[in-house]
Amino acid sequence: MDTLELEVITPSGLIFHGNVASVTVPGEEGEFGVLAQHVGLTTLLKAGVVEIHKENGKKESIVINWGVVQVANNSVTVLVDGAVAIRGDSESDISKALEEAKALIDSVADSHAMIASVSARIESAAQSHLH
Amino acid sequence: MANLKEIQRQIKSVSNTQKTTRAMKLVSTAKLRRAEELAKRSRLFAQKTNQVIAEIASRINCSKVGGIDNRCFVQNDAPKAIDIIFVTADKGLCGGFNMQTIKAVNRLMAEYKNKNVSIRVRGIGKKGIEYFTFNQVELLDAVKNLSSAPDMQRAAEFMTQSVNDFNDGIIDAVYVVYNGYKNMITQELHVNRILPVSIEEFDCDKAANSVLELEAYDSEKMLDSLVAKYAEYNMYYALIDSVAAEHSARMQAMDAATNNAKQMVKSLTVKFNKARQEAITTELIEIISGVESMK
Repeated sequence: MDTLELEVITPSGLIFHGNVASVTVPGEEGEFGVLAQHVGLTTLLKAGVVEIHKENGKKESIVINWGVVQVANNSVTVLVDGAVAIRGDSESDISKALEEAKALIDSVADSHAMIASVSARIESAAQSHLH
Repeated sequence: MANLKEIQRQIKSVSNTQKTTRAMKLVSTAKLRRAEELAKRSRLFAQKTNQVIAEIASRINCSKVGGIDNRCFVQNDAPKAIDIIFVTADKGLCGGFNMQTIKAVNRLMAEYKNKNVSIRVRGIGKKGIEYFTFNQVELLDAVKNLSSAPDMQRAAEFMTQSVNDFNDGIIDAVYVVYNGYKNMITQELHVNRILPVSIEEFDCDKAANSVLELEAYDSEKMLDSLVAKYAEYNMYYALIDSVAAEHSARMQAMDAATNNAKQMVKSLTVKFNKARQEAITTELIEIISGVESMK
């Protein structure tokens, strides 16, 4: 299977780096997925969830509050302002990450509808991570 | 005897100073490690952001993306008003660290004054602010306690004013002057023009071959917010870099001070021994001559 290189970078460091099968990002104009051999593009991201589909079929979610994505030469670079990765070994770890993620979204989103929709996405991401 | 006491007092005072400077060096070393780690982690983000901006700038400049005349990417050879933002430390005792930055600011100001450009100076860091206030240079704003504890939020707020004024046409360029970290023993002075985005180093041919495609549904808005973030982030990075450099400079200065104190104690001890010997000799001569006279 073709893979693409993904980097998620925040001002305080790299939080994800690796080869993935595909990635879905919340673009300003709407969500879009990037698979291998995607055409090059640069666009802004809004607050939302970056969904990473790894090579081994596992999913990982990272909640972001603002970002820029650059797709070029089969590599995706996501530059974000603040990010919380929904991951952890135990339920308590995940619920802690969940809290942080919600706080992050609350601080940037201006409409309640947006907060609600993103929160729902975060919850479902956390659920899928647990099972 | 009075001389002996005096020297002894000096030795004590110098060795106390030595203790202080040594402690300060250790503190700086510990702080430097932390600051260096932070700077290292942030460097990647800074590089990538600049890379994205650079690619966009080169595309616009090589007119691969038409219809964009964002002010941030238009080169202006004759600016009328500029912002100079400097970052110095809040504390002294770090050798020439602050002075280097101040000198660079003065040079930049002199250069633009010759061209009749109106200059707004915005200061971060107590030492620089004190210098310019003393020399009666008007500062647009003076922020303290930021350079010793870099904070993304505050850096962004600080930068926003310059970016807004730039977009409104009040100023034509924004410079950031700071002393950055190179390695444990060297600092590197940076005079960066943040806005308009510098395009000199970009190669149009390379841009033509790249596969980058700008999603231009609302490119003005996108560029505005991207440039604002770029400027804010550069400000924050300048602060982080500066704090790492400050600690390395202080570490060096304190190391030098400790060594100097050590040397001083050594030469004072020699002086003390000589004086003591002299006193003994004088006393002996007095006794001998006393005995001689009694014969």
